Amino acid sequence: MNSSRNNGAHERARKLIALAGPDALSTTNQLSTQSSNAWLAAHLERCSSCRAFAENTAEMVRGLRAIPIAADRSLVSTTQLKVRRRALELQRHRERVWLVSVSCAAVTLCALLSAVVLWRGFEWLGARAHLASSVWQVGFLVFCMMPALVVAILLLAKDRHLANHYGSYEG
Amino acid sequence: MNATAFYFENSMAQESTEIARGLRRRDPDLLDRLIEQYQHRLLRYLLYLTGRRDLAEDLFQETWIRVLERGHQVNDKYAFSTWLFAVAHNLVIDHMRRKQPSSLDGLMDENGDESSFDVPATGQATAFDLTLQREQSEHIAAGMQHLPAEYREALVLRFQEGMSLDEIASVACVPLGTVKSRIYRGLSSLEQRLKGAQL
Repeated sequence: MNSSRNNGAHERARKLIALAGPDALSTTNQLSTQSSNAWLAAHLERCSSCRAFAENTAEMVRGLRAIPIAADRSLVSTTQLKVRRRALELQRHRERVWLVSVSCAAVTLCALLSAVVLWRGFEWLGARAHLASSVWQVGFLVFCMMPALVVAILLLAKDRHLANHYGSYEG
Repeated sequence: MNATAFYFENSMAQESTEIARGLRRRDPDLLDRLIEQYQHRLLRYLLYLTGRRDLAEDLFQETWIRVLERGHQVNDKYAFSTWLFAVAHNLVIDHMRRKQPSSLDGLMDENGDESSFDVPATGQATAFDLTLQREQSEHIAAGMQHLPAEYREALVLRFQEGMSLDEIASVACVPLGTVKSRIYRGLSSLEQRLKGAQL
């Protein structure tokens, strides 16, 4: 019973020492509460193994801090160059995205305006030619879809042409 | 005393805000300055975490590219260094996931190469105490390499970077209790290892 209480006290002390690091031996360490500090100080007074642990910890931390590790000048300048290059890429990408967005907005606006004008035009032509409204409306739809259809046909033809071209090389 | 603490806290918060604003603008001059300022600390952290200089240097460059790309996500709540180390930590995890699906455990003795983490020569006079200190640092550096990466990370952030436990928890994305136990277990394991080496 007494020994398990002692083990608990040692473990508590060691945890406090580990968190405080080299400051564990000073009574003003910032990590623990004042009562914990007082308890730890009293424990270290009478427990030589925990005191040794605190001293070893302080020494290890000092040793850890003394390890000299430095970045090479070339690493720093290469990194700075890469970061600047990437910043430029990102800026160009942002500008492109902005340009595409503005173009899309302008195209949408123009399409809407021209659709209204075309609708009126087809309506007028239909009335002049005494056509049924469904006829000039189909004509309007075909006229509107024509550019997209032409582009799609051209792209398909181009793909087929390229496939035939490379197919003949492979064959 | 309180006024001094308030002054430092205030100026630190102001600096963090200025950095956050610059990063949102992707200001290259600010990034140059930050790379200069944090070069040694970041490399040291990555070197301890990975145990390999070449990998640490690659991740060093990737970290700064990520800082540039994700600068708008910087959190004013913590110091910039906390966010920087969190970015580096995530990159190391990503690197390990690409290699094998695991946590930081995979970084321990990756190639079974114990000498990969070298303490560079300081080039100073060979006075006895300097030699002794260097020897001790070498022992500690070697001992660190045998610890699990999570423990190494906690020890470096706590005792080399001087981060608070909250900040370490934020960098490593773990609860506060886990940070405390990693520090305790890390130091205990390191002590055992150093004792074993001395025998």
